[in-house]
Amino acid sequence: MTAAAPAAAQKSAGDAAAAQAPILDVRDLVIEIATRNGPARIVDGASFHLDRGETLGVVGESGCGKSLTMLSLVGLLPNKIRVTGGNAVLEGRDLLSMSTRELRKVRGGDVGFVFQDPMTSLNPVMRIGDQLAEPLIHHRGMTKKEARARAGELMRLVGIPGGESRLDAYPHELSGGMRQRVMIAIGLACEPSVLIADEPTTALDVTIQAQIVDLVKSLRARLGMSVVWITHDLALIAGLVDRVIVLYAGTVVEDAPVDDLYARPGHPYTRGLLASIPRLTAGVAGARLASIGGTPPEPGRRPPGCPFAPRCPEKMAVCDTAPPRLAPLSPGHRHRVACYAAGTVTEAAE
Amino acid sequence: MTGTLSPALSEPADPPASLWRDAWRRLTRNRLAMAGLLIVVLLAFLAVFGPALAPHDFLSQDLDARNRAPSLAHLFGTDDLGRDVFSRVLHGARTAFVVAIAVTAIAVVIGVVLGAAAGYFGGLLDTAVMWLTDVTMSVPNLLLVVVINTSLKPPLARWMEERYLATLDPIWRNAIWIDFILVFGSMALITWPPYARLVRAQVLSIRNRPYVTAARALGLPTATILMRYIVPNALGPLIVAVSAGLGTAMVLESAFSFLGVGVHPPTPSWGNMISDGLRVWQHHPHLLAAPALMLAFATVGFSFLGDGLNDALNPKGMT
Amino acid sequence: MSAGPPLLRIEGLTKHFPVRLGAFGERRVTVRALDGLDFEIHEGETLSLVGESGCGKSTAGNTLLRLHSVTAGSILYKGLDLARLDEKALRPLRAELQVVFQDPYSTLNPRMTIGEEIAAPLLHHRKATRRTVRDEVARLLADVGLPTRFSSRYPHELSGGQRQRVVIARALACGPRFVVCDEAISALDVSIQAQIINLLQDLQEKYGLTYLFIAHDLAVVRHISTRVAVMYLGRFAELGPREAVFEAPLHPYTKALLSAVPEPDPVHERSRRRQILEGDVPSPMDPPPGCRFHTRCPVAQDVCRERVPQWREARPGHHVACHFAE
Repeated sequence: MTAAAPAAAQKSAGDAAAAQAPILDVRDLVIEIATRNGPARIVDGASFHLDRGETLGVVGESGCGKSLTMLSLVGLLPNKIRVTGGNAVLEGRDLLSMSTRELRKVRGGDVGFVFQDPMTSLNPVMRIGDQLAEPLIHHRGMTKKEARARAGELMRLVGIPGGESRLDAYPHELSGGMRQRVMIAIGLACEPSVLIADEPTTALDVTIQAQIVDLVKSLRARLGMSVVWITHDLALIAGLVDRVIVLYAGTVVEDAPVDDLYARPGHPYTRGLLASIPRLTAGVAGARLASIGGTPPEPGRRPPGCPFAPRCPEKMAVCDTAPPRLAPLSPGHRHRVACYAAGTVTEAAE
Repeated sequence: MTGTLSPALSEPADPPASLWRDAWRRLTRNRLAMAGLLIVVLLAFLAVFGPALAPHDFLSQDLDARNRAPSLAHLFGTDDLGRDVFSRVLHGARTAFVVAIAVTAIAVVIGVVLGAAAGYFGGLLDTAVMWLTDVTMSVPNLLLVVVINTSLKPPLARWMEERYLATLDPIWRNAIWIDFILVFGSMALITWPPYARLVRAQVLSIRNRPYVTAARALGLPTATILMRYIVPNALGPLIVAVSAGLGTAMVLESAFSFLGVGVHPPTPSWGNMISDGLRVWQHHPHLLAAPALMLAFATVGFSFLGDGLNDALNPKGMT
Repeated sequence: MSAGPPLLRIEGLTKHFPVRLGAFGERRVTVRALDGLDFEIHEGETLSLVGESGCGKSTAGNTLLRLHSVTAGSILYKGLDLARLDEKALRPLRAELQVVFQDPYSTLNPRMTIGEEIAAPLLHHRKATRRTVRDEVARLLADVGLPTRFSSRYPHELSGGQRQRVVIARALACGPRFVVCDEAISALDVSIQAQIINLLQDLQEKYGLTYLFIAHDLAVVRHISTRVAVMYLGRFAELGPREAVFEAPLHPYTKALLSAVPEPDPVHERSRRRQILEGDVPSPMDPPPGCRFHTRCPVAQDVCRERVPQWREARPGHHVACHFAE
């Protein structure tokens, strides 16, 4: 197959990264919720991995299970929802079989979180300095003084003007953008190996969003962390991530390096999503938007074959029989798609 | 590229279910609530049919058989005038129910009207209604009831006397009516404020909900908005309050009868039966136990039902 | 380009909210949500109102529809000034001026079926009688792409996109000429947004509707607008034909806004240099003097702090409020 120069360069960089074991490796994750009619699968066999130092984008719409997948890794699932299958290995340890005590050490210490809504994710009656210091004292055994000093550093790191001088402020005294920076600082406080950001800019204005994106880019370059960025916004992550996985109805339907995904989307759902986003610059304004007919299936009411089949313009007979597995578009290619129509090749046993 | 399917693909599979039906389903699944419902239904049955089924007339005295312990002839024994306690307790159930329902009904009507008006129209009306609830709630219950009773009883008695003389209809001779009217009236006058507050709070909160704004934007008139958009959504907490309120009204009636300001003998009420029984309970425990247990039983039933209704109508995660 | 004669003419529209702050409500502050808006809405067009939080775009929509009172200014419609009318006089006009709100989960009465919800305005505004109302409801449901059997369902049984269709059907039931879409698609999933956008455009063509489209997503705005108005802290920054505003923006805020919007194109995103605005949006309770944007404006001068820029027509049909836009 012809390999244009950028594609080849990307492939060899990909090979180099792949030579190291991924820092996070999730296989066949199944998460169920108890419903009136029995347990329903929200996440139905999701498999993905995160390489050291890379930024992974997790894209999907509401109900696809993207947030729950990440929360399940550190045991933060809400009440009626449980992991019932699969494993998740973080730096050699299986997270899903850890006790609560061990998980507590992982939370904040090895895996940092940045949540969506800074208004409700920060404790309104605790000063920011204290909230920043807590994980440091807890996970890194710092004294109060040391933690406060480090908190001040973190405030400067995330670009809050005045750094230490604002440590005694309460969350409601800061604006939305500032609060989100504080959330990022808390997520980074213990220098975790993995930072998971769950829709961190969805609640922010677009100019503030641009500031936060800029911040994360510079932090990434400086700290070399591995980052998972969960979002529904395909435009937002285009310039932000190295690789993208697309979730639909609880399964990973596509897994590709970012340039590949946007240039040559393999799965009909990804193609439909990309086509239905209005563009700011390109395209004929005013023309009808391509849209995907129908709505995603409820957990527990998914069709027996491919979950996207009922809405898929390229559906074939085989699509109703069994769900397709993630497979590369060509042997050894990093771009994998779970679709019978995409012309994938079966991979040698992993 | 576009899907060829209609957008309404994901169709709800269950049959149409209103929120009331969902609530009912949740209620029936709650064991305690069902127990409570059973008790309440049983009591209602007794209240309606009990006196007809009673083995003895509650007034008939048998002075040879005074203060007998429970036996097959007299299930709960007899009191110090030889009256059958079981029959009296059944009659007491009717008294309790009639008073509870009448009082609560009057209180709810007053409360809903005043509360809804205060909540929806606000301003001076709101201030006035709130002042009235505050005043009513701050006066001690007993004091208010005594004042109403003592001040209204003579004129009421005189009025009934006049009516009797005018019509010679024995119905005006029946002193029980005076008791009941005074009891209903005074109790309703002390129990309406919580309903008014509840309804006002509900209306205030619902008034600003998006679907009410949407109804205004559709140009619908105030009456329609109040009746179809606000009131149906306010019923949930009101139903819970009423169910608990019935229980409270029952206890209140018993308390007042116990103190002698409620229903007077010979009309049986659990309250005055308890009062009588208290004096001699060491010798004749059955005279106290029977009405007290019935009252406790009724209160527990209403309590469970009220809790169950609360859980059914206000489940977590729904409006 | 923009269609017919003005349907609505708004002059000097101002809306201030008195607010009480402090633990005991002792401090009184005024939120200057809207300050002196001047514009027209032409029949058949889609005028979009964009801006970030606190800019007053939702307040503008609500005030225009008289969902609350007006502090100052006038809203001229069919020769009447809506700002001066009381609720009783407004009610018959409400049928012609409708709204679709953002959250499909709370704008439908949970205790009414879909059919009842749509029937209410049909009956009240005499668009149908008790005998014809069922057919009319079915027709409206078909217009928004829902099957007739949905009319016996309750809102909580429907998905977000389906609910929003019901809300649109309900607005149509009144037979409106003008519809305010207040962030009508923001709460929906991406793939559903496209469906609803297409629906809104189809209905506009079918019924000759005029839209005021309030949104924060510039890409969507570019797709459907005839003209675009950019708001900042209660005032207009710029208003002009779509292509002019997007291709050749005059106001520095518009330029920054456009620069901040990401595109689903990785190569382009990695290489572009963004114009990042410093600082946060000031509070509408205490807006900066003079030009309200001057605290964050990259080209601000002293005059910007001292004098409020005039709202002038810099190009034909293209207004801007900036001392330095040419």
